[in-house]
Amino acid sequence: MKAGSNLENVLRSGAFAVTGELGPPKSGDLELVRKKAKILKGHVDAVNITDCQTAIVRMSSLTAGLIALAEGLEPVMQMTCRDRNRIGMQADILGASALGIKNLLCLTGDHQKFGNHPQAKGVFDMDSIQLLQMVKKMRDDKRFQCGEEIKGSEPNLFLGCAANPFADPFEFRPVRLAKKVEAGADFVQTQIIYNVDKFARFMEMVRDLGVHEKCFILAGVTPPKSLGMARYMKKFVPGLDVTDEVLARLSDSSDQREEGINICVDIIRQVQDIPGVAGVHIMAIEWEEAVPEIVKRAGLDQRPEPKGVEPVLASLDSIEKAVEDARKEVRIEFEEELERAKTEAQASRELVIKEKEKVASEMSDLKKQIEEARTMASQKEAEVQRLTEEIERTRKELEKRQAISTSDLEAPVNAPVAPPAPPVPQGPGPALTDREQRVLESLNLGLQALKEVLGLDDSQFEALKRFLEAEFMLQLAQVAPPVPGRGAPPPPPKVEVPAQEVSTPVEEVVRATPEEQEIEQRPAVRDKEVVNLVAKGNLALHSGDYNGAIDAFEKALSIDAGDEKAKNGLAEAKAALEKELSGVKGPSVKAEPVETSQTLPPCPEDVDEQWWKEKWVIRYTARGNVALMKGDYDTAIAEFKKALSIDPQNEKAKDGLNRAENRQGIYIPSIEAGPRPVEKAKEEKAPVTEEPGPEPQEKEKEKVSTPEPEPEASKAKEEPEKPAPKAEKPRIEISAPAEEGVSDLSVPVLSKEEPSLPERAGDIPEEVYLEACSGVIQSVTLGDGDKAISVGGETALPFYNFEGQMPNPPRVAFEVLDTEPEEWPEVLTKYFSDCLNDPPAWAKKCVDEYNAKCICLSLISTDPNGADASPAEAAEVAQKVVEAVDVPIIFWGCGNAEKDTETLREITGRIGERKVCLGPLTDANYRTLGATAMAFQYPVVASTPIDVNLAKQLNILLENLGVHLDQILMDPSIGAVGYGLEYTYSVMERIRLAALTQQDDKLSCPFICNLGREVWKAKETRLPSDGMLGDQERRGVLMEAITASTLLLAGGELMVMRHPKSVALTEALVEGLL
Amino acid sequence: MIIAERKTLKELLEMVQGCNRIMILGCRGCVAVCSAGGDKEVSILASALRLGLSRQGKEIEIQERTLVRQCDPEYIDPLNEEASDFDAVLSMACGVGVNFIADRCEDINVLPALNTTFYGANLSSGEWKEMCAGCGACVLHLTGGLCPVARCAKSLSNGPCGGSQGGRCEINPDVPCIWQQIYDKLSRLNRSDEMKNIMPIRDWTQAGHGGPRRRIREDLLP
Repeated sequence: MKAGSNLENVLRSGAFAVTGELGPPKSGDLELVRKKAKILKGHVDAVNITDCQTAIVRMSSLTAGLIALAEGLEPVMQMTCRDRNRIGMQADILGASALGIKNLLCLTGDHQKFGNHPQAKGVFDMDSIQLLQMVKKMRDDKRFQCGEEIKGSEPNLFLGCAANPFADPFEFRPVRLAKKVEAGADFVQTQIIYNVDKFARFMEMVRDLGVHEKCFILAGVTPPKSLGMARYMKKFVPGLDVTDEVLARLSDSSDQREEGINICVDIIRQVQDIPGVAGVHIMAIEWEEAVPEIVKRAGLDQRPEPKGVEPVLASLDSIEKAVEDARKEVRIEFEEELERAKTEAQASRELVIKEKEKVASEMSDLKKQIEEARTMASQKEAEVQRLTEEIERTRKELEKRQAISTSDLEAPVNAPVAPPAPPVPQGPGPALTDREQRVLESLNLGLQALKEVLGLDDSQFEALKRFLEAEFMLQLAQVAPPVPGRGAPPPPPKVEVPAQEVSTPVEEVVRATPEEQEIEQRPAVRDKEVVNLVAKGNLALHSGDYNGAIDAFEKALSIDAGDEKAKNGLAEAKAALEKELSGVKGPSVKAEPVETSQTLPPCPEDVDEQWWKEKWVIRYTARGNVALMKGDYDTAIAEFKKALSIDPQNEKAKDGLNRAENRQGIYIPSIEAGPRPVEKAKEEKAPVTEEPGPEPQEKEKEKVSTPEPEPEASKAKEEPEKPAPKAEKPRIEISAPAEEGVSDLSVPVLSKEEPSLPERAGDIPEEVYLEACSGVIQSVTLGDGDKAISVGGETALPFYNFEGQMPNPPRVAFEVLDTEPEEWPEVLTKYFSDCLNDPPAWAKKCVDEYNAKCICLSLISTDPNGADASPAEAAEVAQKVVEAVDVPIIFWGCGNAEKDTETLREITGRIGERKVCLGPLTDANYRTLGATAMAFQYPVVASTPIDVNLAKQLNILLENLGVHLDQILMDPSIGAVGYGLEYTYSVMERIRLAALTQQDDKLSCPFICNLGREVWKAKETRLPSDGMLGDQERRGVLMEAITASTLLLAGGELMVMRHPKSVALTEALVEGLL
Repeated sequence: MIIAERKTLKELLEMVQGCNRIMILGCRGCVAVCSAGGDKEVSILASALRLGLSRQGKEIEIQERTLVRQCDPEYIDPLNEEASDFDAVLSMACGVGVNFIADRCEDINVLPALNTTFYGANLSSGEWKEMCAGCGACVLHLTGGLCPVARCAKSLSNGPCGGSQGGRCEINPDVPCIWQQIYDKLSRLNRSDEMKNIMPIRDWTQAGHGGPRRRIREDLLP
């Protein structure tokens, strides 16, 4: 192996080699070389890169060869002696070798006379044979031609030469080949063979010289592209023997190219059979595409895998390949890693299973422990039992003692001795004896133990304790009476009276239990029972069972109506119950039973009196408010009065009373029947519809402000923000009749939020909820003079007045069509029925009657798909409209970019000074219309399909054109409610957030929302009134108003709308929100 | 013999522009033999120049003279005086003569009237052919006396290239392939085997690529 090239590998392997030829371009076109290389790659083992063949200047063979190499195609660099002397050639050889070229074909070279520079000095410092010698010497002896040693890397090249079997003298040709082989040729590529017989003879001679054993002979073939080419070769290419047979085959063929390939394949087949032929060299001159086909047909398409084809300088592909290799390596590594990880995972899984088992066993241990704990608990219970028994025993002992003391009754000695004031809270209880005291103490101790064991909380414990103490004292009392009273048992009347009193409410209860009947007869027992019940009640009260408590206390009172504790307890329980109920259910509190003439129930002992009072004031006020909410003004007044009777200074109660007296709801402000202030004067002329006050129930149901019948309620009342459109319900119903609709268009003024945000936020610091914006929306002014309106200018999100300013309120423009609308529903047209075919009058009506602040003239007549009115006609109408009204006007084209350009330009030519707004400008016509608008300083509508980036792009384009951002209104494309409103909303919101919080000033233009046309083309606005969908007009108005209000919240600044009512609603909303 | 041919009249007319007195100086050496610069050619050129200049409306004085050789000092040196009155000496010798006058007559403005073409032989009347390149390293013994350096288009050393067909050179069918001739000659001489030998790469220093050549014969030096 001399150079280790792929060609050498193939040839030495004994395979039939295939080489191709690649003629570098007569330019520096890298791609051309690549293209040719790509065609040949995989079909040849190596490719000859010619060295300015026929002496025509081309890309050098060295560089083109490197390109081919970079493409993964092994080059055979050709080198001629014509253009360089030994210095230049050796230099190139060194460079070629350094850059990975491994095959060198040594040629003398075509004479310069044939080329495009025949005046050139032919160098011919040496001939091809001497060149072979020189390179061989460089390679094998590591010496330059001059004999100097090559220090470092010698050029390792597989050396080739050419041989022309058809040149003269024929007999000398094999000799000359032998000379070349002797000089250093490792392989030979012959001249193009057409005359196979002659070549065979040549080969015979070559074999006779044994040359075929010293080198690899590749037979040169060329597919004749055409008969003309074949003839040319025969006539003009010296040393080329094109046989007549070939010419005949071509001339007889209908497809010369096909035949050319066939001829070539046939020749390959023939030369393949000639001994000593090691391969074939296919020279498809400027017909590289033929090579794969030839190779395939010749059965040579299975090329050995290329070896040693590695560019030294990296090409993109080679880098890719390297990356791919690296990736493979990494993948293998990764897979190994994965395998290892899997094994580990398996191991850990097993570990987990073991762990689980362990845990399970631990669990069972734990369970056992729990079991033990339970057993222990039951033991404790037993202990409790024991203690209870002990208590029982104590009690019995007490009884026994009682018995003894009873027997001691006759001897009153004990009485004075009894110590006073035992720690029992029971009023003037009997004095306890020393012993009793001790018993009591031990009882307490026992109870303490019991508490610990049972885990009672303090209140429970207290209750139990009291209960026992009560019992204890009772038992004492049963024994004691003689001590204080020293007479008869407790007087019967005392019991009788309460029994009678109580008998009414709790009669049945009393009757039902024979026990209690019994109690009646036995006062002592009864007392005991009372104390019992009181304790029980207290217990229940503490544990939150207010009903139980009330029950208990009532029972206690039924027995002893004078029992203060029971009374207090009952009051407390009821209060608590009520508090709870009012807290939870509000209005559902059964207020009736609580209604006592007494405004302030007695204050429980352990409660601060002031606190108690406040509590009741709050309670009454709350009740009042509940009643107010229900519309039950009388009750409300009563409740508020009660509250005031306790605390005459209470503001809330006063306020409530005021409201109740004025028949107003709480927080639910009245809606003035009076229209917006502007229209007030008119309102007086055309009186407000006398609608019957809406049903309170309905009002309550909707939680909506209700219209206040008296127009007098003009004091600017606060109202909630949202309900404006809904509040209209009753009105629209009334407005539907055919009488003058205008008077029905009034909308109540929305009140502002009563407590401001900081108030509502309470203690929350501002920085928590305030988020100031860094951007500012452009302020665009439409129209001129005092009727001009500005929109935009916000420094905060829409209506976020607490975060920034909204200097200009959003506006509404009435849409006026320049031709009679065809598809407007009657509920809409009826408002303009007198002027539908007269745009100027229509516009005037909007301004005069519906108080329009702005007009949007839709030039739908110009639509080429519709009436296709000429720009001149449209402009005439436009001019008249301009003359008819003095409010700002927007001219909105038909949406056909070309037509709009014409129309709007025509209009601008006519209207002169008036500052109108032009739209829609799209990416198709923004240049022309933008320029027009700029010239007249008109604001424009930049209209884009619903997309943030498109909107931004159009703004940028317009700005590049010279239109300032404060002259642009963005039309983001509107969808009506139910028809893509949410999409519009989200895009507008994103645009607005970008403008305000991300300093995206290219999006900082105000929005114009042409929503009327969207809403009124929706099916829902067209369907007639029916039971399910309701009134058609109300439906349409609400759809338009809701769409508008949503767009307002998304940041819309200028709404183009149709229905006067929706406009009124929208304007009322804006006013209310600002 | 050195073969030369006269430059075109147009060139010569331009060359003598601005001269009022010129001497046309012939040589009876090689150029006289190849009919480029002998007495006869001097007269012809003188007449042609006069004619040409008169057509341009100019008239200059032309003196005709022919030396035995222009490549020997003894003939050249007298010119220093004889030609001192002339604006230019138009030499009809080969390049050697022009150079020699220029070298030896410092004040004389010498102009070439001929292109010196090659070392050749007179094939027949009016036909001359290059036979030698004066390469300084003669290989004719190896090539049957036929010079591949002078007579092969590519100066090949090791046989005919692939363009040799029918005994003709690829550059021009009128040009015989010298290597075919060499092959034939050697074959006739039964020396064709010599063609198998590889002629090594040449040393071109003696061909002028090593600088102006000079030859010295010690025995003849004065």
